[in-house]
Amino acid sequence: MATTEKFVLNMGPQHPSTHGVLQVQVELDGENIVGAKPVMGYLHRGIEKLMESRTYQQCVPFTDRLDYVSSMNNNLGFCMAVEKLAGIEVPERAQYIRTICCELNRIASHHVFIGSLTNDLGSATGMIYAFRDREKILDLFNIICGARMTCHYIRIGGVIADAQDEFLQKTEEFINYVPEMLDEYDRLFTGNEIFQKRMQGTSIISKEDALRFGMSGPNIRASGWDYDIRKIDKYGIYGKLDFDIPVGKTGDNWDRYIIRLQEIVESAKIIRQCLDNMPEGPFMAKVPKMLKPPKGDAYHRVENTRGELGFYIVSDGTNKPYRVHIRRPSFINLQALDHMCKGMVLADAVTAFATIDPLMGEVDC
Amino acid sequence: MWGKGLVTGLKVTWGHFFGKKETVYYPEEKLPMTERFRGGHLMLDVEKCIGCKVCAMNCPNAALKLTVEMDENKKRHMTSYVHDIGRCMYCDLCIEACNFKALKWDQNYESATYFKEDLIYDAVEEAKNRRDGNE
Ligand code: SF4
Ligand code: SF4
Repeated sequence: MATTEKFVLNMGPQHPSTHGVLQVQVELDGENIVGAKPVMGYLHRGIEKLMESRTYQQCVPFTDRLDYVSSMNNNLGFCMAVEKLAGIEVPERAQYIRTICCELNRIASHHVFIGSLTNDLGSATGMIYAFRDREKILDLFNIICGARMTCHYIRIGGVIADAQDEFLQKTEEFINYVPEMLDEYDRLFTGNEIFQKRMQGTSIISKEDALRFGMSGPNIRASGWDYDIRKIDKYGIYGKLDFDIPVGKTGDNWDRYIIRLQEIVESAKIIRQCLDNMPEGPFMAKVPKMLKPPKGDAYHRVENTRGELGFYIVSDGTNKPYRVHIRRPSFINLQALDHMCKGMVLADAVTAFATIDPLMGEVDC
Repeated sequence: MWGKGLVTGLKVTWGHFFGKKETVYYPEEKLPMTERFRGGHLMLDVEKCIGCKVCAMNCPNAALKLTVEMDENKKRHMTSYVHDIGRCMYCDLCIEACNFKALKWDQNYESATYFKEDLIYDAVEEAKNRRDGNE
């Protein structure tokens, strides 16, 4: 009688559908997945340690390299934590500019999600559409700060340069384009039957499981939790803004995709309000060149594109942080991969991986 | 009806096939860089620079190696300003730190090289070449 054995397949670290250098050890029984173990560490640069030997201002460009697809949100998280530690008031105008940039970055990051998801599902064309639109946002960043991905624009105390009229006007043009853009995505992907079949009802994370894994961001919202730091903490000016939190029902791949589409709409709504109510005034607080926060520690969390991003900083009174710890959402969300893949077929592992949307720069830190 | 979504999707792609193109023919055609664009080599203004080394002190990655010499009148002169692009994050901190506005980017984004050594250059030398070339 023929016997069968379990088979271990290494996906990655060099694999076209693992975004970045992640290795997944998939245990297979025929075509069915028995377990999927993520192996990380290929992109570890020791950013937390590097920060200990840099001044507070010098640390900010390193946060760009965590989640390099939404660097503005990373800058914001770190800067707000230092501001909390040193008791710095950020001017109103800077807060508005920060919010615009962060939300634009959220949209750009969701473009990467949509693009890579469609690519992983076998539609390379889809990727081009999402990246075409992401390019529009990167061009906006190029105008405001001179960089497209690693922005280093939000600084301790505000932003480094004022938003020009050109930037504000082009942002408005982009916001006006968003409904048309989403309509095209709907016609191209959302209505596509193959796309739906591959995603609906696959890799379900129940409400309880999402909490158990400590997930955050769009992934936990897709499972039905109304959990968004922007609403809970109301940091910056988010308390003044009117926006909704899209929440999913089943927590399958499809919900995780739809949530992101809806978040783009909400982000556009936030940017529109910021553009309309933007006050005049300074864009940077008075921050000493040699910043020495008092002895103590501070934790600040922001809603990054991928979830709850937290910075814990301990100061010993010198100009360099004594210890920095970063709570990276991708790292924690990735723990659910095994659970999501179990019982699925191999091709679904790729979809599951794409909808968790982890970013290796952030996972490895 | 099953397949309706597929046809709608194909209509979108065919629409773009005959529509206006979104890309440019690089390298024949190049996109303009913005005013604030950070990238390329550092352009040092030797007239303005006083050799204080504040720029190098502010660099988070030690990408700048400067040699300063003092002449008989105790005036500082920058003799070499070595910038290692391989270490540079284009964070702009060096330029922002200079109180004399002696630095700016040359905004050339085609900085890929065949050899690692070619990533290291001397900004003082480049400044000299620029001046000699203009004369
Ligand atoms: S841009 Fe940043 S990393 Fe590069 S030389 Fe200047 S300070 Fe150093
Ligand atoms: S470039 Fe500016 S900061 Fe650097 S040594 Fe010269 S004057 Fe000082």
